Amino acid sequence: MISDHLFFAGINVLLAWSVYTVLLTGSLSFAQGAFMAIGCYGAGVLTVKFGWPLLPATLVAAAGAAVMAAILGYPALRQRGIYLILVTLGMTFCVRVVIENVKYVGAVSGFGGMVGADLNSVLIALAFVAAFLIALSYSPLQRICDAVREDDRVAASLGINVTAVRLIGFSAGAAIAAVAGALYGHYMNFVRPESFDVLLSVYVVLYVVLGGANNLWGPLLGAAVMTLLPEYFRVLADWRPTVFGLAILIMLLFRPQGLLAFRTLTTRLKKQGLES
Amino acid sequence: MLEGQIINGIVSGAMYALVAIGFSLVIGVLDKLNFAHPEVFMFGGFVGLLSMSHLPMPWAFAMAFLVGGLIGVLTEFLAFRRFQTADAKITAALASMALGLVMADLVHKWWGTEPVPITPPEGWLTGRTSLLGVQVLNLQFLILGITIVLMIGLQLLLQRTGMGRQIRALAESSVSASLLGIHVRRVTQTVFFISSALAAEAGLLLALRGGAASSDIGLTFGLKALAIMAIGGLGDLRGAVIGGLLIGVLESLMYVFGFGRLVEITVWVAMIVVLTFRPGGLFGGGVHSQEQRA
Repeated sequence: MISDHLFFAGINVLLAWSVYTVLLTGSLSFAQGAFMAIGCYGAGVLTVKFGWPLLPATLVAAAGAAVMAAILGYPALRQRGIYLILVTLGMTFCVRVVIENVKYVGAVSGFGGMVGADLNSVLIALAFVAAFLIALSYSPLQRICDAVREDDRVAASLGINVTAVRLIGFSAGAAIAAVAGALYGHYMNFVRPESFDVLLSVYVVLYVVLGGANNLWGPLLGAAVMTLLPEYFRVLADWRPTVFGLAILIMLLFRPQGLLAFRTLTTRLKKQGLES
Repeated sequence: MLEGQIINGIVSGAMYALVAIGFSLVIGVLDKLNFAHPEVFMFGGFVGLLSMSHLPMPWAFAMAFLVGGLIGVLTEFLAFRRFQTADAKITAALASMALGLVMADLVHKWWGTEPVPITPPEGWLTGRTSLLGVQVLNLQFLILGITIVLMIGLQLLLQRTGMGRQIRALAESSVSASLLGIHVRRVTQTVFFISSALAAEAGLLLALRGGAASSDIGLTFGLKALAIMAIGGLGDLRGAVIGGLLIGVLESLMYVFGFGRLVEITVWVAMIVVLTFRPGGLFGGGVHSQEQRA
């Protein structure tokens, strides 16, 4: 049982990190459930129908999800703010309905036969993504992302291709979500389109909000706590949405700037400058 | 058959429009997304259910309006008041989303996850009238009638009254509005009251038409209204109404022509197409859409 819980916690941490990756460039994505579905079904088709091993199937599915994200995201990422939220919500609905109508992957009745993922594989995936995010946080790319997130007009005036940076962030997030989806499918052995509901995407974003989006440990904490706690406290499992929603409201109310407000070096300096 | 479906579509469209107007009002005035809005819409049906089991039928409409409006004011207090700056746009959206999650879960706990039947009293409402050679349920006329009355009322309020002028001033610029002596908080509360009251009313009408109050329409029907608002143009009321009617009719036509299984994504595909080619929405008249384009 404990390995089950840890596995789902690991999947949710992967998803939370995928949201975090998108958020690094200042966009909020509600399409992570859709990319998870693409990864799950993509990898599933490759392993079940074509007999590929899990690893290459997962990588190909992740690459496919990244390419799809780039194509679908391009029109929306040129816009700022809520347009991307709307378009990503739309993607979540579209992907689910499309899968429900494709007979090849079982339509509404679900798709099964995937095997091979276990706790170790999700731990390896987590280690890779964590290494990627840590390496990113020490690289110059992080500062480019910061610039784009904090003020896209200033970033553009510094010669940064804002749309391209956003697009890369969005695609990378999609790839991570697809990996999570592939592992999830191959652990569950059987998935249905409704597993990838819009509510899933909402939850994943709220994990990140709860944990804090300042660094990669926040999403890790938020997702792990919100997945593991309900397994051990009955009350929490019964009242999960309420407790979760209230926790986020209280969190946001006591930090009026919101956990999403990045406290970067520049904002801290600005504050000191104002106070002194 | 076709005429009947088109009338059905117009009636659904009218309800979409009511919810979309609510989204649009809040976006237009505050430039913030209210994700608790779809759940207020869902809750309207349950308010009607409660009211109809204790009071005569017409009271349900007044109750839905009032309770919905009060929830709107509560939403403003809990999820928006602390997040007023432009940077906190996404934070406010997330806070309201958390609030919506709580509301949906409480309704689940109270009434269960299955739709609860709600029956209008026998009489004129359950009768049918012949229109263009089609038998139309009188209830449909009632829905259309109420929607039209509410929309005209809103239009009069916005264009002809002092409060309407204040709302429009706030939509232009909250700083100038407050400098001109407008009580920004009160106007904001009014906007939330109106927007949520309209949503709850739409929820009641939908429940009456479907014969059941359902707790999961928030994230389906309610979010579709969000997409419709984007199709019409952010903060553009006329766009929300026309977009709602268009999508309503389009959806019923999809049924007629045998694409019934794709109905759920019609509006989202339409939204993505519109935003790709006309980022300001079909009508693109809203103040904020111009700002965003700049």
